[in-house]
Amino acid sequence: MNILKNKPIQYILLGLIIAITPFIFNFQRGTLTMFNTVIIYSIVAIGFNILLGYAGQISLGHAAFMGLGAYISGYLTNMGIPFILSILIAGVIPMIIGLILGLVALRLEGHYLAIATLGFGVTIQQIFKEWTSFTNGYSGMRGQPASIFGFSFRSRESFFVLAIVILVLLSIFAYNLLKSKTGRALIAMRDSEHAAQAMGISLLKYKLIAFSISAFYAGIAGSLYIHLIRFIEPNQWGVELSLNLLAMVVIGGLASIEGSIIGAFFLTVIPDILKEIPMLGEIRNLSTILTGVSLILVIMFLPLGIARINIQIKEKLNNKNTKKTALNQ
Amino acid sequence: MSILKVKDLSISFGGLKAVDKLSFEVKENSIYGLIGPNGAGKTTVFNCISRFYTPDEGKINFHPRDNKEYNLLDLKVYEVISKGLVRTFQNVELVKHLSILDNLLIGMHTTTKGGIISQGLKLLNVRKEEKRIRKKAMEVIEFLGLKGLENQLAGSQPYGIQKLVELGRTLVSEPKLIILDEPAAGMNSNETETLSKLIKRIRDEFNITILLVEHDMGLVMNICEEICVINFGKKIAQGTPSEIQNNPAVQEAYLGKGEVSC
Ligand SMILES: Nc1ncnc2c1ncn2[C@@H]1O[C@H](COP(=O)(O)OP(=O)(O)OP(=O)(O)O)[C@@H](O)[C@H]1O
Ligand SMILES: [Mg+2]
Repeated sequence: MNILKNKPIQYILLGLIIAITPFIFNFQRGTLTMFNTVIIYSIVAIGFNILLGYAGQISLGHAAFMGLGAYISGYLTNMGIPFILSILIAGVIPMIIGLILGLVALRLEGHYLAIATLGFGVTIQQIFKEWTSFTNGYSGMRGQPASIFGFSFRSRESFFVLAIVILVLLSIFAYNLLKSKTGRALIAMRDSEHAAQAMGISLLKYKLIAFSISAFYAGIAGSLYIHLIRFIEPNQWGVELSLNLLAMVVIGGLASIEGSIIGAFFLTVIPDILKEIPMLGEIRNLSTILTGVSLILVIMFLPLGIARINIQIKEKLNNKNTKKTALNQ
Repeated sequence: MSILKVKDLSISFGGLKAVDKLSFEVKENSIYGLIGPNGAGKTTVFNCISRFYTPDEGKINFHPRDNKEYNLLDLKVYEVISKGLVRTFQNVELVKHLSILDNLLIGMHTTTKGGIISQGLKLLNVRKEEKRIRKKAMEVIEFLGLKGLENQLAGSQPYGIQKLVELGRTLVSEPKLIILDEPAAGMNSNETETLSKLIKRIRDEFNITILLVEHDMGLVMNICEEICVINFGKKIAQGTPSEIQNNPAVQEAYLGKGEVSC
């Protein structure tokens, strides 16, 4: 049973089980769409967690990368380029643009970096609005179903399988990376820039790596999004989404791959459930309120996120200092 | 033969001359002490050598091997370790949220092979590297007497252990020169005793040169072969421990502090 302790194998098994549930139970189409978006946001959140949780760098503009991935993939597939190639390009171009933010991060820290990345996000969103020959502006861009070697992922069930395969692959990649040289360097940079530099870690190199990997994950997720929903427009890729990504990672658990997924689930599914409750459902902007309130509650009572809820409760009971808990899984 | 040559080093912050035309040479395979009262500029000298600061004037040359010589001022801060020079910090700088073992692995960052893709895919070469560096780190952990603690979080260790972990992190990089900024600070007398022995063994068994800053005069006089005393950024004396202890200028610099008596 030792093999079950291996994280990548756990990811694969769990992915398998979750991927077949729609074939066993009868979910409504809307519910399945929601589950699919949970998977897509999980991918962005893992990338964002590499940046914020592991490398300790803030960005309030990551929605732009997801939007960029969506537009690129939509545009390319509409031109007849295969989905497989389009999704790759939709990851790689944001990755390259992510390098620019990495350069900015070398000069700015904390609040200043937050403001600069916010400005970056707003600028890119403005470009989505204005560059109509590429994005079709406010009229929005239509997307096609994803298809690989002639098989079209048109049904919500089949798309779910595709999205989970990609999520599992990217989770394993992130897990391996974070457990080796690169992961240790990112964490060292987060905990002590002095120690990192003295040990030969170039802050420039690892800031570039953190920003570009997280932008890659966001771009891939954006590509999946347009092939699932098949319609996007510029207003989706604004500050609100960027803040949501931040909230997912903080609520789920900083520096935790599982936490990223839990956070994506929490912030996508809970608002949907609340909407169904008669009185609550009538409140406008319910999901924004929920995000804000949960963010505050988590920071106050579960600073390590939902994913580490057991350790935190144990430590509270033992009256120990929660700060000492590992931020490295 | 000198492994490190510092010549006419000067740096000021605003109007304050923290280091003023300081020159000294560290002989290969020696244990060299840099001492002086609080605020004398010792850490600043270390920061210049390890390239955290760029001095206003002066030269710093490093000869790790007979035929190699580096002008340290040509290097960026993160390039220094790969040339064979590594440091510790006065206020322990560990990666708090990683284990003691992982902290030592970070000391081997520059010699660990494998690109990002092969790390993400955990290819065979990456697995081999991880095995190699773990083995090496465990040897050093054993050398430091920390066996059994390797999976503990670095940040939750007592100060004395954290200091040892930082020392271990320098050792795994297989340096030629280690510079230690107050290695015994915060240690009790037993721990200091153990540390003195460790530092001597590091020099004797691994042939690593040691340059250290320390306020514990017992340790300095006991293990250093040569000492340089600075005050207000200037050198006021240089010599063997007994010469330094009997030097009137040194006694004056420390007057009222009673730190030199031992
Ligand atoms: N980055 C900096 N900016 C401004 N002043 C600095 C800076 N670094 C050091 N100094 C000043 O330079 C002087 C020397 O400081 P340094 O830390 O080198 O002393 P030290 O000899 O290591 O003292 P201690 O024994 O207390 O560690 C001090 O007056 C300090 O305030
Ligand atoms: Mg000092």
